[in-house]
Amino acid sequence: MRRLAALALCLGLAPFLAARPPEKPAAKTHDVPYRLTDTKHILVRAKMNGKGPFNLILDTGAPAVFVTKAVAKKAGVELDDKGWGTFGAFELEGGVKLDKVKTRVEDLVQIEGMNSMGLAGVELHGVVGYNVLAKFRIAYDFTADKLAFEELPGFDPPAPMKIDAKGGDDIQSMGPMLKMLAALTGLRPNFEVVPRGFVGVEAEEANGAVVVRKVLAGSPAAKAGFEAGDVIESVKAAEVTTNKALAAALAKAGTGTRLTFTVKRGGKAKELTVELGRGL
Amino acid sequence: MRAACTLLLLAGLAAFAPAQDKTDPPKADGKPVVVPFELLSSRHMAVQVMVNGKGPYRLIFDTGAPTNLVNNRLAKDAGVLKKGDAPALPLFGMGGAKTLDSLAIGGVKLEKVPVMVMDHPTVTAMSNALGPIDGIVGFPFFARYKTTVDYQKKELTFTPNGYEPADVMQALMQKMMGGGGKKPEPRVVAPAAVWGFTVDKAEADEEAGVKVTEVLAGSPAAAAGLKAGDRLLTLDGRWTDSVADTFTAASLVKPGRKAAVVVTRDGKEVRLTVVPANGV
Repeated sequence: MRRLAALALCLGLAPFLAARPPEKPAAKTHDVPYRLTDTKHILVRAKMNGKGPFNLILDTGAPAVFVTKAVAKKAGVELDDKGWGTFGAFELEGGVKLDKVKTRVEDLVQIEGMNSMGLAGVELHGVVGYNVLAKFRIAYDFTADKLAFEELPGFDPPAPMKIDAKGGDDIQSMGPMLKMLAALTGLRPNFEVVPRGFVGVEAEEANGAVVVRKVLAGSPAAKAGFEAGDVIESVKAAEVTTNKALAAALAKAGTGTRLTFTVKRGGKAKELTVELGRGL
Repeated sequence: MRAACTLLLLAGLAAFAPAQDKTDPPKADGKPVVVPFELLSSRHMAVQVMVNGKGPYRLIFDTGAPTNLVNNRLAKDAGVLKKGDAPALPLFGMGGAKTLDSLAIGGVKLEKVPVMVMDHPTVTAMSNALGPIDGIVGFPFFARYKTTVDYQKKELTFTPNGYEPADVMQALMQKMMGGGGKKPEPRVVAPAAVWGFTVDKAEADEEAGVKVTEVLAGSPAAAAGLKAGDRLLTLDGRWTDSVADTFTAASLVKPGRKAAVVVTRDGKEVRLTVVPANGV
């Protein structure tokens, strides 16, 4: 009898488990900010071992994470004799966190070539490949400003197999040609980014004119004598009738730039000179 | 000699100038189309592709490819190249930029699709090891859709999203021609709206985030509860580890849109919502 009960217990076990499958945790989705580079690569930012952020391209054409030697050094990655290492912590902007991510450390000719001429418009530090990308269901939609990385709980992507492919690295032979191209085109990169200068007015576009709605206290605009209700007519020589035109007139003006605005106040034109400040 | 070299290179490059035909946008009926992919042992994704109604051909689907690419074999077979067409550059059989009448993956079809003709050494090597692979499907194709990549189900899902990808070759050509040997000016990054605060970071400060140094009274930042002394960690989900990064994040938030701002204050993480205003 006891045996029978034990048997029943054993038999009962399977259907019981089958009837109540383990509850699937809700798949977590991360909104990962990205930018398209000038070369139309999908750029995300990553911190590895807490260092960075570094600029990486999402590349399903790569079997793994690849980073430059300089990045590996900064992030303190130890390499094996075949040029592979592991990031203890790997984090993508937007909250994707992984541990023990294998990485190939190599100065790829594609990355070096683009950097030497500044083609991407931003310095590139490597690529994110299959070993990270396959862990998520990723939605790429360039009408949105974030990518959706949905976790795939319980899915362990099969590791890439080594394929015996002769000539797989021949593209690296283009290095010298790219260097020559860089020299001949005279393209030199400048990855430095500086903030635009700050005025300190809230404005609105109405009836073909840009009207100051509010002057922020203590801002460069306040010091220059702007008042709410002023109609911005021009900045230097550039006529302003739309928000877009106002932004364009200021687009290249860094901190410290002095700009003369012509505004209309009470029917009279008035010139106000602003020294653009720090801030946003 | 140098001039001759430059001429030769530029002449070669001219072959890569984009074709004039513009891709017909996909019908935006919004219906997602699911296409299976083959996960190769190298862990690349291979898809079956019809080109100009011929095929199917096996191509790599690659988010890291800014252009579509087909090899000379496919180009001849599908009538992309005519008999006797010579390579534009005597390297990797580069045949230059062409336009396909159509490119279809499963039920997803685009017409007038830009493509590069080239025997890419990596593709050739993979083809030799893994069976015929005749090219790469890249950005100009998948950017026209919300594209979801699922390695667990081995499926790609394409939903037309109205996005019109810019021609990367055109942009690169302009860049190549524009190099003058001078180092370009740093890029000025403009916030897309007014927030009303300033940030700073000392050279020796290697902690995450930047310091909020001033919050202007009556500004959107003040209304949201941002305070001077806060440590700004992210703005709209983007890391703000430098002043430049803060401006880059702010350049992507349009006026009137709610943006999450995460700061640490007295050792605690505080999440605020700022609605930046139109203005400068």
